[in-house]
Amino acid sequence: MKREHILTQIENFKKREEKFLTEPICEEILSSYNIPTPPAYLAKTREEAVKLAEKIDFPVVLKVVSNQIIHKSDAGGVIIGVKNEEEAAKAFDKILENASAYNPKAEIEGIYVQKMAPPGREVIIGSVKDAQFGPVVMFGLGGIFVEILKDVVFRVAPINKDEAYEMIYEIKGLPILKGVRGEKSIDFDSLSETLASISQLVVDFPQIAQLDINPIRVYPKKLYAVDARIILE
Amino acid sequence: MQIDLQKKHLELKCFFEPDGVAVIGASPHPEKLGYQVVRNLVEGGSFSLPHLKGFAGNIFPINPQAKEILGLKCYPSVKEVPKNVDLVIICIPSKFVPQAIRECAEKKVKGITVITAGFGEAGEEGKKLQNEFLSIAKKSGIRIVGPNCLGTFYTPAYLNASFGPFLPLPGKTTFISQSGALVDSVVDWSVKEKYGFSAVVSYGNKSDLDAPDFIAWAANDKHTKAIALYIEGLNDGRYFLEVAKIVTPIKPIVALKAGKTAAGTKAAGSHTGSLAGSYQIYKGAFKQSGVIMAETLTQMFDMAKALAFQPPAKGNRIAIVTNGGGNGVMTADYCEEMGIELPPPSKEIIERLDKSGKMHPAWSRGNPLDIVGDAGPDRYKIALEAVISSDIYDGVIVIQTLQTTTHTVEDAQLVVELQNKYKKPVVGAFMGGPFTEPGVKYLEEHGIPNYNDVDRAAKAMWSLIEYGSHLKKKGKL
Repeated sequence: MKREHILTQIENFKKREEKFLTEPICEEILSSYNIPTPPAYLAKTREEAVKLAEKIDFPVVLKVVSNQIIHKSDAGGVIIGVKNEEEAAKAFDKILENASAYNPKAEIEGIYVQKMAPPGREVIIGSVKDAQFGPVVMFGLGGIFVEILKDVVFRVAPINKDEAYEMIYEIKGLPILKGVRGEKSIDFDSLSETLASISQLVVDFPQIAQLDINPIRVYPKKLYAVDARIILE
Repeated sequence: MQIDLQKKHLELKCFFEPDGVAVIGASPHPEKLGYQVVRNLVEGGSFSLPHLKGFAGNIFPINPQAKEILGLKCYPSVKEVPKNVDLVIICIPSKFVPQAIRECAEKKVKGITVITAGFGEAGEEGKKLQNEFLSIAKKSGIRIVGPNCLGTFYTPAYLNASFGPFLPLPGKTTFISQSGALVDSVVDWSVKEKYGFSAVVSYGNKSDLDAPDFIAWAANDKHTKAIALYIEGLNDGRYFLEVAKIVTPIKPIVALKAGKTAAGTKAAGSHTGSLAGSYQIYKGAFKQSGVIMAETLTQMFDMAKALAFQPPAKGNRIAIVTNGGGNGVMTADYCEEMGIELPPPSKEIIERLDKSGKMHPAWSRGNPLDIVGDAGPDRYKIALEAVISSDIYDGVIVIQTLQTTTHTVEDAQLVVELQNKYKKPVVGAFMGGPFTEPGVKYLEEHGIPNYNDVDRAAKAMWSLIEYGSHLKKKGKL
């Protein structure tokens, strides 16, 4: 996605006075900064969802796409570990049912069918705008632990790859990333590149007020940004 | 952003080495602020202390009613002063400040310190006044310190251009503080601790000049070897970052950021937003610009002292030499907590010391090198020289406890001698009271920072390691 295209998308959301970009757009933006996201497509119908799931290859995850549903899991809008066509069809119906129960007025754009990223070590990369420093980036151990352990480090954006490396090495949970008990080390190179790219992204687009990629699954080789959230000014 | 440090230094020079100082609001009444400010310039302080001396340059009290203050001729307006006036200190009520600054502009003054409070911090009316005088100053190219501040101190020129109590002792650290009250306490404390400063700045509301401007000035001040900074907030975080990035490869900066629990940026909606406290972000900004962060005031001044006096460490391998076991063990604990390595002495070192005939048979043969309580200066000397000359160590912490056989001054002398000879960083922990004092005095007068507790000595050594590693990264060490 080119810069102009991202800008148009952002403007569209702004025109509708919506602050939260939907997941498909977030992932498009990440892809344009060479940040890998699991293969995914937006399905409008049950049949389409099944077809797309087959195309992507099981297992997949189905997620509701709606501007009115920000906390997808709370709304029962996410079903993971979908293993076959039958389950995909069921999940599609179930998500629609849950979504309308959660917020009857929600406009559903469709259901996002995404390849289940294989399990891996989870980190978070985020960004906010600080009153004194402007856009800053955050890195830490991700997933469900982030708010309990608060093992996170900040930098003023942008940072280069070396600075990103240093930042990653500052967290207390570093041994987890390096691998314990025979586990392989994660791909620090890809991770620091991703961190540096995100720091550039938030500088390039000052319209972005907050950004969360949580989790990013990191493997011995490569990584996947599994869930992304972008909030506009 | 391109920052010219030399240009900045010259721009702010009027606050530290002015050619002529005037005080608008000077008063002949000793209980008035306007009297104390003049007295600070004339005598160096409002208290009597042996190290105090007045500013040698021209001082002009401005007061339309008075003829003379402290023996100096008064002028009705700064415009009437027949000689050059670089710096003006203003201590009149806020509503008269814009007019006073207009007169300064006509006089072609370079810098103004506005001590008066009641501006940006005091509601809409105050903010309006502040904006008014700022626009006058800006048009005439006058730089402003304050308002709502103490002002500036510069010990090499015996300049106390402030309403702080007195000039501190001369030293190598510039202390830049957003808080004025803190400066008052620190200046008094520093006399007791014999802690010296090259300059002290209290800049208050930072209506114009902010911490990064003073850092840029200090970078080119030849009397300043280390910069200590107390901040609550900044006008422009990115300007700070740019300045700090170019200054830290030249001079070390130690900073204390107050307001740890302040909500700062906290924004709802994202995990990042909920985790982004202002303190955390400052920590990151400090790290990325090579600024060493202090958690407490004591720690900040401890580290600044080490950085001002000692060379940075080229690595993190430290030897501990001690005549007391407990003190050594505690030091080792603190060092390890901070990631400082304590490699055991090599075979060569052990042999050399064993063969010297000076060691107690029970000496530790490990790191800490416990040279045992009865160690005299000769034993300190061979032990210290063995480790400081060895390329397996990047620095040494020397501990001395007061035993009946201890010769504190001789110990201090040899520490100084060996540090000068080998140029590796050495930090002292000569611990005790009045009977250790002569040794401590000798150390500090000869450039070895000493601390009365081992955790402080370990932290000081850590700062030398941290700064050394920053310089290495920048290709400067």
